[in-house]
Amino acid sequence: MSVNSKPFQSRLGVSRRQVLKGLGAASSLPLIGGFAAPAFATGSDGRVVVIGGGFGGATAAKYLKRANPNLSVTLVEPARTFYTCPFSNLFLGGLREMSKIAHGYDELRDRYGVEVVHTMAQDIDPDGHSVSLANGDTLHYDKLVLSPGIDIRWNALEGYDEAAAELAPHAWKAGPQTELLKRQIEDMDDGGTFVLVAPENPFRCPPGPYERASMVAHYLAQHKPSSKVLILDAKDNFSKQGLFTGGWEQLYGDSIEWVGLSGDGRVTRVDAENLEVETEFGTVHRADVLNVVPPQKAGWIAERAGVTDASGWVPVKPESFESQQVADIYVVGDASVAAPMPKSGFCANAQAKVAAAAIVAALRGDSTPEPYWSNTCYSLIGPEYGISVAGVYRIQDGVIAEVEGSGGLSPSDASAEIRQMEAEYAVGWYNAICQDTWGTEA
Amino acid sequence: MNVRLPRAATAAIAASLLLGATQQALADDYDLQREVMAGGCANCHGTDGARAGNVPPLAGRDADYLEERLLAFKRNEVADTTIMNRIAKGFSDDELASLAEHFANVEQE
Repeated sequence: MSVNSKPFQSRLGVSRRQVLKGLGAASSLPLIGGFAAPAFATGSDGRVVVIGGGFGGATAAKYLKRANPNLSVTLVEPARTFYTCPFSNLFLGGLREMSKIAHGYDELRDRYGVEVVHTMAQDIDPDGHSVSLANGDTLHYDKLVLSPGIDIRWNALEGYDEAAAELAPHAWKAGPQTELLKRQIEDMDDGGTFVLVAPENPFRCPPGPYERASMVAHYLAQHKPSSKVLILDAKDNFSKQGLFTGGWEQLYGDSIEWVGLSGDGRVTRVDAENLEVETEFGTVHRADVLNVVPPQKAGWIAERAGVTDASGWVPVKPESFESQQVADIYVVGDASVAAPMPKSGFCANAQAKVAAAAIVAALRGDSTPEPYWSNTCYSLIGPEYGISVAGVYRIQDGVIAEVEGSGGLSPSDASAEIRQMEAEYAVGWYNAICQDTWGTEA
Repeated sequence: MNVRLPRAATAAIAASLLLGATQQALADDYDLQREVMAGGCANCHGTDGARAGNVPPLAGRDADYLEERLLAFKRNEVADTTIMNRIAKGFSDDELASLAEHFANVEQE
């Protein structure tokens, strides 16, 4: 391995100045005999294909190249612009524009030398170590990273199929669905009811439905103050529950109502055309805007790869996030089974770094580095009212476990100043993780 | 022939070899293990802890200062903390020292 420009590339990516600096270092060290590596190497140390350009996939691609610029890394992602689910609730609340949750792939391509291919991955041949693409190409890999996110289990909730989602949006993948839901909220008459149907665990972003209810309530309080938010929930407990209910009472009085499983909150049938839902014990609720967060599973390409189990999610080896079922396929983010880590963008990013390091080590014949993960999920209840849950995770007895004494929730008795600081840090977090993942400043 | 070097010369050679070894290590080894340990920090502090936002940057700050702060967070000695007290408790004192050292030595652009 040549010594020359590596420290500059690996720490800070490749800029012209750094390449020149690297060349200088090489020429001043004739004993090492290095040749200047090309800025974007030819992949002599291995070929890695990454499918999915969200928090997990984009991070994996970047950190693979940081750790070893001589890897050939190809990122397959159909969208040229990726909209994040985190902060899409702020768009619904009127606090942020869609353009401020949009990210592209210029940094990965131009600074890190990742080859970015904007097409769909159609199939995976694990034995042949290849991926076939919708554009007709085939990519060969030594290691494959899947970060496919979630797919909706259509019809798992009776009446909720793709057509229904055009009338009663899920908006659980950010983009057109988010914009559709926003239009519906804006078009709703004052005095209307926004009904949010929340699913059983596990699902993407455990506090997400409750932050959404908060942000919609914030918008309604400003523009349609006689309106209500009703959450019909398939479970009795949810993430940061006490903090949410305390904040709702303080900011929105009784305009947010939550009905849990034992209160007959579990929705069993959706009638999207009439904007009605029916619960387990036959209560019918009529909505003016109906937002269904439906049951989910790993993104479908994971099924094609044969890495999912009966649950629809992907069991992984904790130390590397390599599939337990198929060698050389690493699965990060929401698609993986990583409890007690939640399905969050932060965790996807953290898992991607662990997987990238494991891949770099494996391709060198080195042992897998010891993994560390952490998570922080901020939720906004109001523009100046933030709450959080944090966790630090390690492997204990062969499984992922939260480090004892670490992590936990914002204090229930925190001052208004702390709530405001957390709201500000939520924005700081979003900006930082997007910089870390895509190199973009939203 | 067995040439004995004065002790000081031996030390100097050893030091220069060590220095060489360090540079070699820096060059060859993006320290994968330490990068993995530090990986989560970037999610709020930016890549390499170098992002200047409302979350303070870590890159290039004094190692002793960083270590002292991290230990203070861990021991609940920082007033008005939001999450760093919860995060710091996930690491041993040695790991916090290693993280402080890591971020102190990040090259600045």
